[in-house]
Amino acid sequence: MCITKLFSSFLVLLFFGCSQPVIKKESSNAPQKLPLVGSLQVYKYKFSNGLKLLVLEDHSSPTFAYQTWYGVGSRDEVKGHTGLAHLFEHMMFKGTKNHKEGEFFKLMKAVGSEGENAFTSKDYTAYVQELPKEHLEFIAQLESDRMQNLIVDDAAFTTEREVVQNERRFSYENNPDGLMYQEIFGLAFTEHSYHWPTIGYEEDLSRMAATEASQFYKNFYAPNKATIIVTGDIKHDEVYNIIKKHYEKIQTSETLNIQQARESTQTTPRRKIVKFNIQIEKLYMGYPVPEILHEDIPALQVLGEILAGGKSSRLYRALVNTGVSSDLESGVLENTEPSLFLITTNLQKNKKAAFAESIILREIQRLIQEPIAQKEHEKVQNRMSFAFYEGLSHNSSLARFLGKYEVISGNFEEGVKLFQKSLVVNAEDIKKAAKKYLIPDHRSVIIGVMK
Amino acid sequence: MREIILTWFISLCFIKSVFALDVNFEKDSKLPLVYLNVVIKTGAVDDPRGKSGLTYFLGQMLLRGTKSESKEQIDLALDQMGAVLEVETRAEALILRGSVLSSKLSEFLKLLKSILTQPTFHEREIKKLKSEVISKILEELSSDRTLVLRRATKFLFQDHPYGKPILGITKEVETFSTEDIFSHYNKHINHGKMSIIGAGDTDLSIIDTWAKGFRNSIKESGNSFLVFKPKDIVTKKFYFIDKPDRTQTQIYGGQIGILMTDKNYFPLYLANYAFGGPSFTTKMMEEIRVKRGWSYGANSFFRMGKQPRSWQFNLYPKIKDAPDALVYTLNMIKDFREKGLTPEEFERTQKSIINNSGFMFNTPQKRVENLLLEKTLDLPSGFMTRYREEVSKLTLNQVNQAIKNFLKPDQLVVTVLGTAKDLKEPIVKALGISENEMQVIPYTQE
Repeated sequence: MCITKLFSSFLVLLFFGCSQPVIKKESSNAPQKLPLVGSLQVYKYKFSNGLKLLVLEDHSSPTFAYQTWYGVGSRDEVKGHTGLAHLFEHMMFKGTKNHKEGEFFKLMKAVGSEGENAFTSKDYTAYVQELPKEHLEFIAQLESDRMQNLIVDDAAFTTEREVVQNERRFSYENNPDGLMYQEIFGLAFTEHSYHWPTIGYEEDLSRMAATEASQFYKNFYAPNKATIIVTGDIKHDEVYNIIKKHYEKIQTSETLNIQQARESTQTTPRRKIVKFNIQIEKLYMGYPVPEILHEDIPALQVLGEILAGGKSSRLYRALVNTGVSSDLESGVLENTEPSLFLITTNLQKNKKAAFAESIILREIQRLIQEPIAQKEHEKVQNRMSFAFYEGLSHNSSLARFLGKYEVISGNFEEGVKLFQKSLVVNAEDIKKAAKKYLIPDHRSVIIGVMK
Repeated sequence: MREIILTWFISLCFIKSVFALDVNFEKDSKLPLVYLNVVIKTGAVDDPRGKSGLTYFLGQMLLRGTKSESKEQIDLALDQMGAVLEVETRAEALILRGSVLSSKLSEFLKLLKSILTQPTFHEREIKKLKSEVISKILEELSSDRTLVLRRATKFLFQDHPYGKPILGITKEVETFSTEDIFSHYNKHINHGKMSIIGAGDTDLSIIDTWAKGFRNSIKESGNSFLVFKPKDIVTKKFYFIDKPDRTQTQIYGGQIGILMTDKNYFPLYLANYAFGGPSFTTKMMEEIRVKRGWSYGANSFFRMGKQPRSWQFNLYPKIKDAPDALVYTLNMIKDFREKGLTPEEFERTQKSIINNSGFMFNTPQKRVENLLLEKTLDLPSGFMTRYREEVSKLTLNQVNQAIKNFLKPDQLVVTVLGTAKDLKEPIVKALGISENEMQVIPYTQE
């Protein structure tokens, strides 16, 4: 049975393996030319196999960034197999039919690559690097090769699984903030796959087999799940021709709809106390919020700034300036599906997380009830403008902006629209968003205390 | 092609002010932003005896009130401009790092001048900051990663100023007074020690005029404490930081490093690049991560100073693998000293550094950071653009000789963070040392 999104709100189980025919279209070398900001333009192409290509020319240095974003993350995993998306990301650096294990990095280093790496989130996996301008065809060849010719063998898988388990120990098991982050999602999501950490659970990783990775590769690593972003000292039509040459013949995979369970509405606060070998307390609070494309996201972004953007923000003044906390962060998490508005803070010595929580609740209530001054609003707009432009300052950050929004919202222009909309959000929108989403009964709270 | 790239980058140099204050600015109008750093040649090494953390504290206090603005007013003004102003404290540099929308630059410069020239160091703010800094120190001690780095640095340098923790020690932070801070300000915030380095959407003349405007409001020069050269450790030393319930260890080891101006610096830069440098193809990554899956990361790196600072390595294997991984790494270092690089490894690494060298200065921000390093470490002008040229000239023999002369496998200081009851004995056994040779320190100890 094929479950469409229309009915997904009634589901509490995950469904896996529903395929739909891929509609084939001819590739077109006539790109859409889309404005980003100022004089920056993005050329957007789509190939017959579903592959998308975004090119942004910037000739300010003779280099370019080349990133491949796959629309697959830990959201696409199923219970008992958590961490597969991320573990597979590691496997992509192993051998292919054309290049034996270890060659990828050696070839990259030989041509002077920079920042070759990869990352996996709940919604996407991205492979990133920068290169001197003359190596466009070289990287297109390597990336297209591992999109279609990867070898997933048992020995390499076993070693890499051990590396990932070690990464888990490093970033989560022995890192209080990593564990707090894992716990807040674990508490706030009971049914949806955002419940588990992207790195996966140790018990799932330890029984994961190479065959699962092979299947994952077949399902998700295909042109119709990928977007290539090239930014820098290149010409868009030349990029198009090279990408066409190396990718156009790669077969699509069947579209796999993993229908996620939808969270039922939370009606009472959830709390969990976690004990660590720490010397100060920690507090993480999460409220359910909608997905990235929802009309309330711009107001929630501004709300995050009003609460904790900068040292003059409401929560900074109420928590840090009063000697309760030593730092804090807050904001809406941008995800493909409904996610969290997160507030985190480290307490000062001998201060209690529960006290900080009561201050946060009080400040949220004050924000809902009292007017927001025009100056405060303008301040937030300036801070958001600064952050937006700063995020576009070099080739790799530009590519990352385009890749992220193209994958999580289906169109990079949504990222620009979000910024533009956030600048015109008014005080009433902000208060409404706070009232609608920062509901005390909807909060999940993790408190980290000393053992 | 490589020549063209390098020439192109080098042609994008900073324009320098002709006025006495050292001002360097690169115009870049791609985005409506300006990045501005006020770099002062002081740092944690200048913390007076018994006042560890005072330079960091001074840096933070600069942002907490001037004769005309309270802390709250400074915070609000910066946020209203959409600006960021932070103070970074290094061992030998105090850097006010500012970034702002170019449309708000003049307001920002006015505030920055006030912050630099008219701080008040109000008693109330000192008290509040003390509490924040002490909490940050406790946070640093709570995280395995920051804790081991802090302690490994101390174990390596002992009482040398390079061993001082940037944030300080809680007991000493508690003693800071208004007088201490004013005295430190008067001694170190002067334009003899100051450089202004920036890039962005404005002209040098604007930054220059601004700098001229406050040059007379701060002292001409002050006393500088000359950091002496740290001494090598005589014999290998082992420390164990005991923290309960660890499922993984953090291992840091190292020795005293080298000056960037030393004739062996570039040979050793290449050697380290091959051994444990910033890539997935190094010997350490290959042996420890790729072949054995022992650790997610395995690296080695230099930390640079006006005096030789450190060469260190780190890895973080799980408890069970820690003894083998540590012994294997120490043997790798010994082996590396004896055998050096093979011709193939040398050639591959040299090519990689040369081809990658353009990325050392391909953005205005990177060029700002390079200049900042040149200024703070007293490097010759243009030093950071010379990597390609210097590495091109190296021979395998030079590199291997430099490795032999530099590495001291028998004089390493090794710090292991883990749970002593599970791990001390196996580690001691694997290393073939006595129990007494590994000193155990509780993780709560500063």
